[in-house]
Amino acid sequence: MTPAQAVFGEVEAERRVASAPLSHVSIELGHLYMEDFQAGPDRLREQFRQVAPWAETMRRSWQARVPGGRARVSTCFLIDDYFSRFSTPAELVPAVLEAAAECDLTIDYLARESACAETDGVKLARLVEDRLVTDPPAGTNGSRPPVTETGWLCNGARSPYGGAVQAMESARAWEPPAQNAKRRHSIFVDVELWDSDSRGRTWSCPFLAAVWQLLRLGLIRNDGELPVRPVPGGPPFPSDWEELPAIVQLNPAAAPFSAYSTMSVLSSRFLPVELAVRTILSQVFVDAEVLRQVAGRSAGEGVPLPDELVDRISYVFLGA
Amino acid sequence: MLVFAISDKGGTGRSVTSSNIVYRRALQGSDVCYLDFDFGSPTAGAIFSVSSVARGTAQGGMHRYFEGRLADPHRIDVWVESDREGLRGKPPGAGQMVLFPGDEGGGEFSTVSEEMLRRCVRLFSRLEEEFDLCLVDLSAGRSFAAQMALAATARLPGVPFRWLVFHRWTRQHIIAAHGLVRGRQGLLAAGVEHGHDEENLADHIRFVRTAVLEPDAAELEGLRETQKAWLHECDRELRELARKYGVGRTAMLGKIPLDPVLQWREQLISDEDVLSSQIANAETVAAFDDLAKKIVDDSAWEAL
Amino acid sequence: MLLMGEVRTGLLQNSGEIPESLCQAVLGLLSGERVRVSRRPIMYAVSPDQLTGVDCRLASASRARVRGVGTVLSRASVTGGRVLQGSSHIRVVRAGSDHRLSWSHYLARPGVVEVFGKVRVPDLVEGFAESGAWNDCLDLGSVSERFMDAVQGSPLLDRKAPFKSARTRLRWVAVSAEREPGHEPGHEPGHEPGQEGPGIRFVLGRDRVRTLRLVLPGGLTPGVVDFCEDLALHDWLLTTLQVIFERAGVGTATRAEVTARLAPAVDHLLHLWMPAARLDDEFTPFWERLERRPGFSRQWLSLVARVRDQIAVNTLALLREAGGW
Repeated sequence: MTPAQAVFGEVEAERRVASAPLSHVSIELGHLYMEDFQAGPDRLREQFRQVAPWAETMRRSWQARVPGGRARVSTCFLIDDYFSRFSTPAELVPAVLEAAAECDLTIDYLARESACAETDGVKLARLVEDRLVTDPPAGTNGSRPPVTETGWLCNGARSPYGGAVQAMESARAWEPPAQNAKRRHSIFVDVELWDSDSRGRTWSCPFLAAVWQLLRLGLIRNDGELPVRPVPGGPPFPSDWEELPAIVQLNPAAAPFSAYSTMSVLSSRFLPVELAVRTILSQVFVDAEVLRQVAGRSAGEGVPLPDELVDRISYVFLGA
Repeated sequence: MLVFAISDKGGTGRSVTSSNIVYRRALQGSDVCYLDFDFGSPTAGAIFSVSSVARGTAQGGMHRYFEGRLADPHRIDVWVESDREGLRGKPPGAGQMVLFPGDEGGGEFSTVSEEMLRRCVRLFSRLEEEFDLCLVDLSAGRSFAAQMALAATARLPGVPFRWLVFHRWTRQHIIAAHGLVRGRQGLLAAGVEHGHDEENLADHIRFVRTAVLEPDAAELEGLRETQKAWLHECDRELRELARKYGVGRTAMLGKIPLDPVLQWREQLISDEDVLSSQIANAETVAAFDDLAKKIVDDSAWEAL
Repeated sequence: MLLMGEVRTGLLQNSGEIPESLCQAVLGLLSGERVRVSRRPIMYAVSPDQLTGVDCRLASASRARVRGVGTVLSRASVTGGRVLQGSSHIRVVRAGSDHRLSWSHYLARPGVVEVFGKVRVPDLVEGFAESGAWNDCLDLGSVSERFMDAVQGSPLLDRKAPFKSARTRLRWVAVSAEREPGHEPGHEPGHEPGQEGPGIRFVLGRDRVRTLRLVLPGGLTPGVVDFCEDLALHDWLLTTLQVIFERAGVGTATRAEVTARLAPAVDHLLHLWMPAARLDDEFTPFWERLERRPGFSRQWLSLVARVRDQIAVNTLALLREAGGW
């Protein structure tokens, strides 16, 4: 008789992670702030007119890359309802869709910026903040807690400041900050993640934009589940932003919202924001299991992905 | 339990008394440690007769720990590292006795930063896991160390703490001890600022009289009657003053008699010092022993 | 090339053992991530993995300057609702470049530390096992302790532990007996641990430091971390029970005192001994070897017997005094 094999498992001891449906690329056609809205409908039309050729180029390049040309490309559009609230979905969304259609663009998904902070009771921004693993300056050996300034994140070592000194100890001279991965000279970046007042915490625009990128890359999980799923919707749109789902799927035939890679077409005034976003994203630790899932599937499709998140993100910056 | 030793004025024998309390407590079977928070003068090593750290440690002590330059401050097992024959080798039934010295050449800090405070909370919290009694020797007077102790204990609601205020049995010392506790920017005021409840904090503060000369003591037999009468009168006046300032018998945890050994050679007093070489008085050891018991005896700390 | 880690073990600061729900709460160090719990044969709850970035020297026996950059993988766990562990480890690999890359490169390799330049594995193995706290080298123990502190600091714990006890430190390093793919020739034979057979070396050091060197028969599987944590747990139990017994004052203290001092061990420790309960089969031989020498369970059982005998004898004596028989 061979020895019996006992298999014992416990449900609570195992970890399961849901997988997200994924397109090849998610193209962000625009990002609407109050100032854009106030500039009138022509501003929006102009923006879409500039974006259209880039979106088309991106679509073609993926069609050329994917075997059989069957590239899954989805488009999205983000409206700020976090920093300032303006207009109503009933009024604004049809106007946006109409302007896009005039430039032969289809908006597959429409998202609200506040969804990046919190959606359906899931505090997405907090979730991402918990997963920041700070970029260690040389000499970080683990013996001390990572040097952090509450609410800030940088890419190196800050200039030392006052702090406690001992009596009769000589004062310190100024020292420059330093970038960790510098090539001889530093480009030191220090990003404010949030500030707070009596009403609570307000996340910064770059931090929410980083959450937005992670959502589009399908890399966030809450208890192993996808925190946000697009909800199909169409006209008529509600008169209150709160009633609009975090992500609305406007095009029933659209490819999945999340994708292996993202492309954003932005005004060059967002360049500093995106530098900040990349500073943040390069310090976010994404669940290894989720990364494995995504890498496995993309490899299975013959489209290998770069290991590093920031390399899955591309931009086109447009002049004014 | 955390016990903070403080005095308003210098020269009260705070360090030597609290070291002896720690030593007695260890002999009574508790695991104890002594933290040198007298940052401006880190000399606790001398009292424990650990000559390698008599003027602080060169291996990274309290100062470097609070500056965040090392993960764990240097710890010294007194039973192993003391130079005194009588202290080396843990007696059967005794507990651990560990010294955390300051840094050689270390100085008083210029402020208490949030980082330092966090390190302090971490240190207290870890030591409390390991030791029955952690005695923290603060410097004389209002100091950043005392402020840090108040702030850290406010953040550790589950960790019991007690304060010992040392003073000599003189007019000036009684008034100063009162001021240190109840005066402007005293322990109570500063404690409240850091989130302590005033009444609760006051219930955890007791006084220890040091270098006390009892008018009826045997050594004073040779005095003239007029001198004795004068001494009695002084003592009565001091008692009256102490009562008025809330430093009287009820708020007192113990008193240490005047003993030349403590004055001239600040060190731990072993039973041998009393029994064989007879350089120290039996009353002194009895007073230390008594204090060591009372520190952890809840009935001695009932609300006043 | 090799795995190295440090496990710190201590008593959870609570009066009694804590139930599963509380384990979930105190170990929930990362929002949006579940605490995993297994209940058989003993309750074991483990926090989600946490990462810490490092860029520092790695200790080497030859004092060569070896710089490593990457992330440390850590977790905290509670066994039997009573014993807390903080565990951190890294996998050391040779860096593909001669300079530090962007941080996202390292984040994409959780728990990996890349070392620059020429590195000899035995040099790192010896260096890590020996390194104390007093240098600037990688300090995995402190990382582990921080996660323990985070748990001990939970307001859900009452901090009224039944006895005082010191944390123990187990520093471990594991290499594979298999030759690495791409193993460079030119390493002098006899110095590469890959040429030794599988084995285990456990050393009790001063200041509650233990070192463990493992040569694994197969590759460097993640199960080795479980093994080291399990060994650290049982070593702590043994160490702690020894201290409690020593302090009970058998022969000097009164019978009632001895019984009172031994009681916490009976209430909180004796039932926790379950070596190799959750381990992969490939690690059972290692435990078996440790059971032969130094004989963990033998010593434990003998101590437990002494504790029980003391309590029985003392109880009888007290009964006799009370009842007059």
